[in-house]
Amino acid sequence: MGAAFLIAVKDLKLRFRDRSVFILGIVAPLALAFIFNVVFGPAASGTGLGLEYGVVDLDRSEISTAFVEILEDAERREVLTVESHATRADADEAIAGGDIDAYFLIPEGLGQAVMTNLSAIVDVVGDIDAPTSTQIAASFAEQFSAGVAASQVAVATTAQVAGAQITPEFIASLGQDPARAASSFTLSDQTAQTRQLDATTFFSAGMAAFFLFFTVQFGVLGLLEEEREGTLARLFAAPISRLSVIGGKAILSFAIGVMSMGVLVVATSLLPGLGADWGAPLGVAVLVMAGVLSAVGIMGLVSSMARTPETAGNLGSIIAVILAMLGGAFFPIGAAGGLLSRLTYVTPHAWFLRGLGDLAGEAAWSEALPAAGAMMGFALVTGVTAWFLLRRRWAR
Amino acid sequence: MKALTIGLVNLRRMLRERSNIFFVFIFPIAIVLLVGIQFGSASAPGVGLHQADDDLLAAEIANRLQSDDSIEITSYEDEEDLTRAVEQGSITAGLLLPEGMEEVAASGEVVEIGYLARPDGSGSQLQALVSSTITEVMAPVGAAQFAAEETNASFQSTLAVAEELANQVRPIDVEVTSVGEALFPETLGQFDLGASSQLVLFVFLTALAGSSALILTRQLGISRRMLATPTSVGTIVVGESLGRFGTALVQGLYIMVLTLIVFGVNWGDPVGAISIIVVFSAVGAGAGMLMGAVFSNDQQAAGVGVVLSLGLAALGGAMFPIELFSPTMQIVAHVTPHAWALDGFAELVRRGGNTLDILPELGILTMYAVGLLALAGWRLRVAITRP
Repeated sequence: MGAAFLIAVKDLKLRFRDRSVFILGIVAPLALAFIFNVVFGPAASGTGLGLEYGVVDLDRSEISTAFVEILEDAERREVLTVESHATRADADEAIAGGDIDAYFLIPEGLGQAVMTNLSAIVDVVGDIDAPTSTQIAASFAEQFSAGVAASQVAVATTAQVAGAQITPEFIASLGQDPARAASSFTLSDQTAQTRQLDATTFFSAGMAAFFLFFTVQFGVLGLLEEEREGTLARLFAAPISRLSVIGGKAILSFAIGVMSMGVLVVATSLLPGLGADWGAPLGVAVLVMAGVLSAVGIMGLVSSMARTPETAGNLGSIIAVILAMLGGAFFPIGAAGGLLSRLTYVTPHAWFLRGLGDLAGEAAWSEALPAAGAMMGFALVTGVTAWFLLRRRWAR
Repeated sequence: MKALTIGLVNLRRMLRERSNIFFVFIFPIAIVLLVGIQFGSASAPGVGLHQADDDLLAAEIANRLQSDDSIEITSYEDEEDLTRAVEQGSITAGLLLPEGMEEVAASGEVVEIGYLARPDGSGSQLQALVSSTITEVMAPVGAAQFAAEETNASFQSTLAVAEELANQVRPIDVEVTSVGEALFPETLGQFDLGASSQLVLFVFLTALAGSSALILTRQLGISRRMLATPTSVGTIVVGESLGRFGTALVQGLYIMVLTLIVFGVNWGDPVGAISIIVVFSAVGAGAGMLMGAVFSNDQQAAGVGVVLSLGLAALGGAMFPIELFSPTMQIVAHVTPHAWALDGFAELVRRGGNTLDILPELGILTMYAVGLLALAGWRLRVAITRP
């Protein structure tokens, strides 16, 4: 065991002299987590998406004003921005100039048409280069239309029950605002009560898991490099057991992996502009250990099957990228349903992220144990297989 | 001529490496397929539904949602199971219909329906859709509450009237058009959105990954040996550039042709699309060359290459539509060549433009290419002639 540690410490010193470990293990995941957070963060929070709309209210009735107010309310909640345009031509110009993505055109007589139950149309006119923003604008208009329909039914029902005609006077005589009829229910968002990772933590954890496999590879590949350079044969000639030699490299890989993950967890939590929330420290530590072990096992297995360090490096990259993709380290995979959402659990990445999800929302550290157990399973199976393959390889 | 030979040797070296075959030819197509399945129209997002009891209103809402083809409804007996399914991502959102909805409504109270979503952005759009459907079902209920309050009639009697009238009301229609009268295509092809983004992402990624081959060429002394033959430094630099350029071009054209044939992706005017690929490949080649000249350790170059190519792709709108960026971020995005290439593709596909229409984009990409190649040529000249 002493020999294994000596080998690991010697290699660790070597690796630290070479900046590659820092670039792949710390700088790269941090930089990408930061960029992804800036780019995708707004979509996840639903605010700051850059939805810029215009509204042309040619009607100026109570109903059209109500719609404009809904948009302005959304503006206050930072969901979108909205500006008024006097004419259609003005709004077209604003689209052409790239000031807005789409505008709502409320035609003259809309309020009257609604009152008299005639057909009415709200146009959503969008920039051809902003199809998504335009689609979102349309869903705002649809929601408004559903709300107006509810008020229409309310007024009509009251009139029929009271035996009155629907006239502006009748509507004015009502004690309540007909718009109230649309709020007979609320859709209360209880997402906060679920145990899910927020976007920032997701990108931080996803990138950390992705690059972990490359970081760990530095240690495992050392075995093949020593084999090629002939130093491995010399090590075997020394009174050191093979287990110690292979164990030394495994300890090295584990140490590099844990160190880089540790730095990443702390850095993504503290750095301004990120502020990830990983959850109970003990639980995170258990997940990181298990995750690193599974990475060491898988990369060890890859190395034991490759003939040269180059092949191992290339094959390792392929495996790392495929597992990260499938495991949902870049974007969540489960929601696609079907085969993919089951296949994702053949990757340690998916278990790592799921374990962190289980820790989210102030959960106790022990919630991470099932996911950690699954990753230990990967580590055990791949590690033992790698050990047998390597023993056979050097027995020849 | 010699430069061309050097270029071809580089291309052959790339193709001989089996892992390159994966990253250059298999992986991009797999991603186009995966992204298409994930975000395309083929799979409707899954919404879970939990009904606390067999209330009629709840049943009606469940019914309406089930008949909506744009979502896939799964029923959950247990609220916990539903929450768990959202947490694990097997459904995108969940709806919790409470106990005794009718009773609550009859008493004039507001019915509180719970909603859970994945925090990945798709949840809020689904919420708008689900909310519209519930509004439709609940319209008579709200109307009945309103009328009962106004007329002092019983809720049951006003509800009967409201349910009858609900079918007679004409809701406001929403029509979506684009500026210039042309209608938006009903659905953009399932893979159209992803294909040009993936092309830009991978061509650049491969080009930067090519820097390690250049570093190896220098490390093994191949460049020095080439210099010992009657070959000028300029020829070697041009040859190496041609090699990177050829690799990027082959991959770009491959992605374009294969997605066109297999997924029926619309690339617009072919001359225009190929022009963008050619110029963008030159940009990638320049960036790859520059890295190959500046770095002397291929592992470091690989790490920086991954960060640069994924980071620039994300910033340039190759992972998330640029239209949804904030105004500041849109300006930042256009610092990357990716954004210009994507603008060019969008012009060809969305507006049916031709090569003339994308001259501004091609011009800017050419400036990137010339700038990067000149810088890379200079640095490489220094790197391979250094004693």
